[in-house]
Formats: sequence, structure tokens, C-alpha cells
Amino acid sequence: MTAAEPATTVSIASGPLVGPILRRVVGMLAARADLPLDRLDDAVLVADLIAARAPAHSIDDKINVALDPGDRSLLLRVGPLRQGGGQALIVDAAVPGVGNVIEQLADELSVNPEGEIEYLHVRLAYANGR
Amino acid sequence: MGRTKLTPHLLRGGAHESSTDRRLRRRAAPPVPQPGADVRLTLPARPENVAVVRHVLGAFAEALDLPADTVEDMRLAITEACTNVVRHAYREGESGPIDVVISPNGDWLDIIVTDYGAGMSPSPDLSGPGLGLPLIAALADSVDLQPVPNSRGSRLSMSFRCRPALGLA
Repeated sequence: MTAAEPATTVSIASGPLVGPILRRVVGMLAARADLPLDRLDDAVLVADLIAARAPAHSIDDKINVALDPGDRSLLLRVGPLRQGGGQALIVDAAVPGVGNVIEQLADELSVNPEGEIEYLHVRLAYANGR
Repeated sequence: MGRTKLTPHLLRGGAHESSTDRRLRRRAAPPVPQPGADVRLTLPARPENVAVVRHVLGAFAEALDLPADTVEDMRLAITEACTNVVRHAYREGESGPIDVVISPNGDWLDIIVTDYGAGMSPSPDLSGPGLGLPLIAALADSVDLQPVPNSRGSRLSMSFRCRPALGLA
């Protein structure tokens, strides 16, 4: 992707469409980023978690995700979220007996505040490509 | 408001109203972008992204359990619309977005494909605009093509009647 190229973004109204659509977009872009099958599966799992947890922390009734496929990596930028929503979303992704799924699967995870709102950045990459 | 409908026959410069044109006028109120639209997808106008749009439409249709024949019509129409953007909207070396909005509206499913490029015009390599727009008009229950305000781009709005009624409208 060139620097001048527009970003890929998806905005979905909260509800039953979020999971199926986000999963499909993330899966396709993960495949295009040449992530191997196990990491593609991880990316789809992260997308499912975002779809399930992000509506509670979004500033409106939409889930917005920007996707940036790179060299064997995929960056997801989730938001805008309300203040504290990024960390809350990460905490919500904990599964009893398993731990925090997003923290375990992501290669990079950060919450980036921008004024009154914030964005959750999740990067998944192929281990040998780091 | 004085909005101009750019139908395929107008693009061809013909005065005769074809069956395609009648279909274009079938639905009185064409869809307009809604702030609360259910799905908005913005992608670089590249060939490989047409498949992403098709998959998103497929996921949408599965979630709403839309009739298979309607979904096939929608898939073909949205593929043609996005391919038009990829091929014609932006000059060689210029990058720009395809903006796709999909929203249920009562018994209808509205799909709007927008670009911010050079706008719709007859293809330089053909005597007319090609098959894309007439095909879309034949598949959709209504079609409306308009210029994007404050831009040279185009907005193609398509509506498909879906029965039984959409569950999420």
C-alpha cells in the first residue's frame, strides 16, 4: 500500500451484523497480508472479540475499524472509543481459564488517546516476519 | 432541489426512453446516504478490493437471510458498480477510495457506491458507457446516478426489493 492510498475502513451499526462483517473483512485482509493460516485464524478470533465487546465502549452506536495490511502483518485501529474504553475492551476480552485473548494473540497492543476519545491499536504479524 | 438523474440513456445521449430507463424510474424516492446506515465500507479503488465488497455483501445477506436470487443480483450489480470505479473513476497512478454503504430500508435494501474521481462518462475505449450501467439497471429495482456535491465523483444508488421483509430495518 502506498502512503497516498486511502485507508480501508469499515463502520457497522451495533447489532448482529458486526460479527459476520468484521470477521469477513479481517479474514480477507489478513489473507492478503500473507499471514499464515494459524495467524489468519487468530486475526478472525480477535475480530470476533472486538465485534462482541466494542459496542459497549464505542462513543456511538457504531463500530469503526480501520485496517492496514502490511508486510505479513495486519493493524486494526478500533474506535473512536469513549475514555477508558480501550483498556476496558482489552479487559473484557479475558476468558476464564484462558486469560486475556487479545493480549495473548496480538503482537502489539496499545490504547491511543486523542482528546476526549481513544483508539485501540491491535497488530497481528507472522512470528517469523517480525 | 434540482438533482439530475444521469441515466444510461442520458449518458449515451439518446432521447428514447428504454425499458432500462423505465426501471430506473420505478421507485420514486432513490436512496440517499444515511448517517445511521448499517454498513459503510471504504477501500482503495483497486481490483482486489472488489472481492472484499462482494464478501461483505455476502455476509450481510447471510445475516439477514436474504433470498438467494436477490443476493446474486446484488452481488453482480455491486461488482459492476465497483469495477466501474476501479476502471474509470481515477486516473492512472492516482489513488482514491470506493465508498460502499449498505442499509436495509423496510422491504428494500439500499446500496450506494460512491467515488471521488473523474465522474461517470462514456468509456474512451467504447462508443457508449458499456454494459455496466444497463446491467445494474436490469438487476436492481431502482437505480440513480448522481454527481457527488463538491466533488467530481459519482454516486450510484441501487435499491433491491427483498421479500420477506428485512429483519433489521
